[in-house]
Amino acid sequence: MAISVRGVSKTFGDYTALSPIDLEVENGSLTAILGPSGSGKSTLLRVIAGLEKGDTGSVFISGHDATKVPPHRREVGFVFQHYAAFKHMTVAKNIAFGLEIRKRSKAEIKQRVADLISLVQLDGFGDRYPSQLSGGQRQRMALARALAVEPEVLLLDEPFGALDARVRKDLRDWLRRLHDEVHVTTVFVTHDQEEAMEVADTIVVMNHGRIEQIGAPEDVYEHPANEFVMGFMGRVNRIGNALVRPHDIEIRLEPNGITREARVERVVALGFEVRVELVLPDGSPVSAQITRDESKRLRLAPGDSVYVRPSASRVFAGV
Amino acid sequence: MLARYGLRLVALGYLAMLLLIPVGMIVYHTLSSYGASAVWNAMTQPDMVSALELTLKVALIAVPLNTVFGIVFALMIVRTNIPGKALLNAIVDLPFAVSPVVVGFTLILVYGQNGWFGQWFIDHGYPIIFSTPGIVLATIFVSLPFVAREVIPVLREIGTEQEEAATTIGATGWQTFWRITLPSIRWGVVYGIVLTTARAIGEFGAVAVVSGSVIGQTQTLTLTVDSSYQNFDPVGAYAAALELAAIAMCTLFVMNLIKPRRAN
Repeated sequence: MAISVRGVSKTFGDYTALSPIDLEVENGSLTAILGPSGSGKSTLLRVIAGLEKGDTGSVFISGHDATKVPPHRREVGFVFQHYAAFKHMTVAKNIAFGLEIRKRSKAEIKQRVADLISLVQLDGFGDRYPSQLSGGQRQRMALARALAVEPEVLLLDEPFGALDARVRKDLRDWLRRLHDEVHVTTVFVTHDQEEAMEVADTIVVMNHGRIEQIGAPEDVYEHPANEFVMGFMGRVNRIGNALVRPHDIEIRLEPNGITREARVERVVALGFEVRVELVLPDGSPVSAQITRDESKRLRLAPGDSVYVRPSASRVFAGV
Repeated sequence: MLARYGLRLVALGYLAMLLLIPVGMIVYHTLSSYGASAVWNAMTQPDMVSALELTLKVALIAVPLNTVFGIVFALMIVRTNIPGKALLNAIVDLPFAVSPVVVGFTLILVYGQNGWFGQWFIDHGYPIIFSTPGIVLATIFVSLPFVAREVIPVLREIGTEQEEAATTIGATGWQTFWRITLPSIRWGVVYGIVLTTARAIGEFGAVAVVSGSVIGQTQTLTLTVDSSYQNFDPVGAYAAALELAAIAMCTLFVMNLIKPRRAN
């Protein structure tokens, strides 16, 4: 295991950031820790890096007990949401920082910095200062800086959180490709389930300082362990005590015995998909997601009466 | 258009009335009334040279000490979680609040001949009051807060992320301080040093009380300005004032010299 977290807990005053947590991260994997703000996901990452000390428990990195190892000797790479660029240094100097600290030879540093600059596609930017770069470029520089010292694990704390939507999407794809290239065990924290599904091969869902579920993206989406996970992984409707995804709602113009009546409130075209807002006779709202073709066939308009049925739904105990 | 130029005129006029004209007058008046040779003559008197030396010596001791103290204190206030921080933060401002003359008297109370430790120092051959150590102590006291006051907001502003990043990359606390923290706060430090220096060379009240103003021994430039003037020696007073102004100009010039060339 690249990282083992055993029984780590952490409180800040009265606030419990982490209830005792156990987590195993496999060598070479790309893991997302997903959760809402205040779920403890960043704290967990910072405890792994040694930037925060857990109240209890231990952290193992590559099989060694790192609990009492100070952060500068843990051999982890850490990337911050707001880049943490060294503002008074050029891009090349930023990337060279860890190598200079380790007193590598000038020739080696020069070679390694050049390699990393092209790895993160910042060729020609070596002499610029961070203030002369865009957000996406700064974050790529920060990644190169973290990778320069060949860390055992790479930890990213909401790495794309401060970037605009398009850059964020590009960087996600790029991070995925980068990981396939360098194979370093990577853990990133995010509150964006789409980002987690798209980039990671394992998702750890956290809430209130606990791990709710660990699994492959499809697993967590298709077989959520509880209501929280189901709700966090995508939109859900509540029909009676069952939870239904919008794309699992079938809309018919005629009843077929197992359907319920509903009234169309609003039809929103979102390109390929169409979202239909419905209201059941008891007043509860239901949101359905259908394809554009389906929508054309049904010709729905606000005020229409239709018949709906969940084609798949889940009921969780204790709801 | 008119408003903009009007505003500039007011700002520049204000600056001229309060700063440029008085300072310029020292130079002009000194040279035109007494002539350059008389001023040079006054400046090269042994007592005047010793006053200049003492002023520079005191500043060279007080400024580095207060700079190191100010940086360490600022780091303690902003980066650590020790209890009683608010109180400490208020105490460091004490020299701003207390009148310099009072500072001088408290030093006499503690280190004077009848003070708590005074006799001990005198017995061991290091009298503090009416001697250089007393002047240094008084100067350190009155110029204590400047570096800390300049550095604290800058430390808050830069945050901890860069330092944390350096740590995870493998830098020890010491390396992080020299390579990341200090370069990030350097303008605050430089400005603090300029203010500390200005205060250290210009202090009058506290130094006057503890120095005894022995001509040629414990007289600083500011004390020389006063005593020459009182003794109907205007040339000496103006010469000393000119030297003080020159030191201030040099400090500002050096600061401008090391200012960043980079626009951002």
